Amino acid sequence: MSAHTHAAHANEEVNYLNWKTGLWSWLSSTDHKRICFLYLFAIMIFFVAGGIAALLMRLELSTAGPTIPGIVKDPHTYNVLFTMHGVFMIFLFVVPGIPATLGNFLIPLMIGAKDVAFPRLNLFSFYLYVLGAACGAVAMLNPVDTGWTFYAPYSTTTDTSVSLMVFAAFILGFSSILTGLNFIVTIHQLRAPGMTWMRLPVFIWASYATAVIQTVATPVVGMTLLLVIAERMFGAGIFDPSKGGDPVLMEHLFWFYSHPVVYIMVLPAFGVVGEIIPVFSRKPLFGYKMVVLSSMAIAAVGFIVWAHHMFVAGISDFSAKFFSIVTFLVAVPTAIKVFNWVSTMYKGSISFKTPMLYAMAFVFLFMVAGTTGIYLAMLGVDVYYHDTYFVVAHFHYTIQGGAVIGLIAALHFWFPKMSGKMYNERVARIAFAMLFLGFNLTFIPQFILGMDGMPRRYYDYPPQYQTLHTLSTVGAFLNGFGYIFSLLNLLGTALFGKVKAPRNPYNSKSLEWQTASPPIHENFETTPIVNEEPYNYGTHAHA
Amino acid sequence: MLGLLGEQGSDFAYKVDYANDIVTIISVVCTVAIVGAMLYFAVKYRQRDGVDHETPAIEGNNALEVIWTVFPTLVCIWVAWLGYDSFVDLRTPPPGAMEVNVTGRKWAWDFQYKNGKRTTSELVVPVGEPVKLIMTSKDVLHSFFVPVMRTKMDVIPGRYTHEWFRPIKTGDFQVFCTEYCGNEHSKMLARLKVLPKAEFERWLADDSEERKLAAMKPSDRGKELYVAKQCVTCHSLDGSPRVGPSWLKLFGKQGQLASGDKYTADENYIRESILNPQAKTVAGYPAMGMPSYQGQLSDDDLTGIIEFIKTIDGSQKIEVAPAAPPKKADAALASMTPAERGKALVADSSNMCLTCHSLDGSKVVGPSFKGLWGRKEKLSDGSEVQVDAAYIKESVWKPAAKIVAGYGPAMPAMYEGKLTDENLNDIIEYLKTLQ
Repeated sequence: MSAHTHAAHANEEVNYLNWKTGLWSWLSSTDHKRICFLYLFAIMIFFVAGGIAALLMRLELSTAGPTIPGIVKDPHTYNVLFTMHGVFMIFLFVVPGIPATLGNFLIPLMIGAKDVAFPRLNLFSFYLYVLGAACGAVAMLNPVDTGWTFYAPYSTTTDTSVSLMVFAAFILGFSSILTGLNFIVTIHQLRAPGMTWMRLPVFIWASYATAVIQTVATPVVGMTLLLVIAERMFGAGIFDPSKGGDPVLMEHLFWFYSHPVVYIMVLPAFGVVGEIIPVFSRKPLFGYKMVVLSSMAIAAVGFIVWAHHMFVAGISDFSAKFFSIVTFLVAVPTAIKVFNWVSTMYKGSISFKTPMLYAMAFVFLFMVAGTTGIYLAMLGVDVYYHDTYFVVAHFHYTIQGGAVIGLIAALHFWFPKMSGKMYNERVARIAFAMLFLGFNLTFIPQFILGMDGMPRRYYDYPPQYQTLHTLSTVGAFLNGFGYIFSLLNLLGTALFGKVKAPRNPYNSKSLEWQTASPPIHENFETTPIVNEEPYNYGTHAHA
Repeated sequence: MLGLLGEQGSDFAYKVDYANDIVTIISVVCTVAIVGAMLYFAVKYRQRDGVDHETPAIEGNNALEVIWTVFPTLVCIWVAWLGYDSFVDLRTPPPGAMEVNVTGRKWAWDFQYKNGKRTTSELVVPVGEPVKLIMTSKDVLHSFFVPVMRTKMDVIPGRYTHEWFRPIKTGDFQVFCTEYCGNEHSKMLARLKVLPKAEFERWLADDSEERKLAAMKPSDRGKELYVAKQCVTCHSLDGSPRVGPSWLKLFGKQGQLASGDKYTADENYIRESILNPQAKTVAGYPAMGMPSYQGQLSDDDLTGIIEFIKTIDGSQKIEVAPAAPPKKADAALASMTPAERGKALVADSSNMCLTCHSLDGSKVVGPSFKGLWGRKEKLSDGSEVQVDAAYIKESVWKPAAKIVAGYGPAMPAMYEGKLTDENLNDIIEYLKTLQ
């Protein structure tokens, strides 16, 4: 890629990390790369808190009956833990986190722009996130016990601080909408000369599809959550049947947002895998146009499948049949993506750096997530699996195995660009192995528990389920240690690492690798001019 | 085929299992094929000695894209059909199905039959007959899940939902609540009892107790339950101490809990103590002494007991009738094997065995009956004892004689005279089958 970026020797040492110093220069920065780090720092707090909640739950569930009465003293505490885990992981870590961190850092760099279209709005979005996160954290003082789904009338009648928690999600929604708008305008308006739509890296396409969902779906959940508050404060009678409301309406409105949200979480990860596999296979991305098209198709179809969460919720049998059939429409573009990723490796020159290991693990984990999703789209079968551990395992394969593994892969892959250092490859691989084995050991037993009929959100369970629960707990701790090691490796080498990263350590063709590591504040010395495709690897046959 | 979902209890279960088997086979084949191809490419086309080799710039292949768009679409249509097909059966009760009204509440299931008979936490149905459940909730969302029947439906306040099944075998099956409903969600369980048709008819027609209770004033109902639910075993009416505090002048009493806090025995305190006895224990009484009555008493029952307690103010002496004799006809008992008779005795609610002893190995107040026979138990005084006939008889008749380590002296001394030597021999035969 002929990006004309001739770094002058004098400027080599000045980059976006050190061109201004002091805490305030970070907190008030409108540089998209610094805002990425603000988000990264903030979401990691909730990743750790949500992770601790998960491990406490697993510990409690490791035996039937009370296991750690000193910490989880009653069912209420357990209910608070799974609510905290869900709310933190979904609303404060994955949904705002992955688009905002990776999107912020990469979109301008990958399309050859100086920054996003509205840098100050970008910083404002971050502070909205902080405000929302603060409300969410305060709400945990009188901890919410509704589950992350806030189903009425439980959520409109429990005396925990649901209103504040819901208000937090409402503010976070605004942050998400503004970030989405910002990215859409950036991708439309700020592409470098020669960066046509069909030369956009697939990560940009995925981010674009994500941003569209964020701006279109989030207002609906905003309204829904305000209605929950209206119900609690003024007895509006919208969802609570004792006041003439309809609890199933709440489920519809909730899932109209929260199903597309799954794609907000996982589409960026699809994009990440689409970037990593070509670089480490030294091959163009197989079927680029189909990969792009499938992202847009998933985003579009994702809007009309929400009620597949509600096959046994009391919707009509006719609706259930409709939503089952359209749900299968998601399976096809997802399958197309997997086929194209694997085909990219055909006749490649494959090396196995840590990001590639994560990308290959992603393909496996997402196959499991996708195929188990088929079970749940099948009406008669879903009736059995609904609200059992099968569902729990399925969506963890999607969200953790998909979105979070995608984030970890991306943090390794772009680490040299972000920090200007190289991480320790050996530690990264060991952490990867722990994470991968631990993850599967956690959730494969949960598939079997689901097949045996074990319901989710149970503080206690009949003794026949104990062995599988114990295995799952062991896996969860291995998984947790894997995260700790991989993130400490990145943090440690970023702060104290001695190995400086070259400009383009993987010999990648895409634009962000053509500028300095780490980039200067303006990203590129001069505006880059693009005159080739994003994955122009390999030799064209001379025939 | 693969038997992944366990025992099949309804006539449409095989269809659900068939759909589940097919999708399992497809999933495993596809995952193995795709991940296998990926690993094959990874090994075959790996860089050797870290040296990059030349690669062809293959950008795609339209024929392949068409194949892997069309093929998954066809597979999806097939499995969508399988899911649809099993769903239609499962949602369509045949005309003339026996209807049972189901009410979910925090945290128990109430059932009412056409003839007015009511049960709590126990749904009794005849084998071979279609049963349609017409369900609603008193408070929040619940969901009625019968794994063995392969059916489940949310139970919603302010409207009715339904589910149905036709049991194909008799037995005792688990029912779960599968929509999160608060603190005791995981305890909102019920049993589904599928009986032979004649036995079900007898059970359904026997409404004597029900009618009697319904016609009583609350305090009389409470008095009746005091005996029927075996409160009498541990709580006296005359102030004499038993396992638990006496009910004499209990209402309004203030005192100290084991935790050091103060309590006042008002309506809410008594209700909590019945449903969740471990929440507050009065100082000087065993912490694990009382089993929870969660799911065994209706709201009317609880009110009745509280009203009854209010009447025990010492102003008059209250006499209670002894517990009703076992209902089972002697002729029926005589035709059974000893183990069957033992099972009936254990299951007989007037004997209350199952209040404190489980059949599935789980620890309730006392040791589980499962695997009990022949085991070596460590006693609280450190010695060991073999569980044989003599030990069991002694433990039933004189529970305080030997206490297994880890358990409290909670078993009431009420069985001497109530259960004969012959009864116990039958129970022992039954215990031998619970290995």
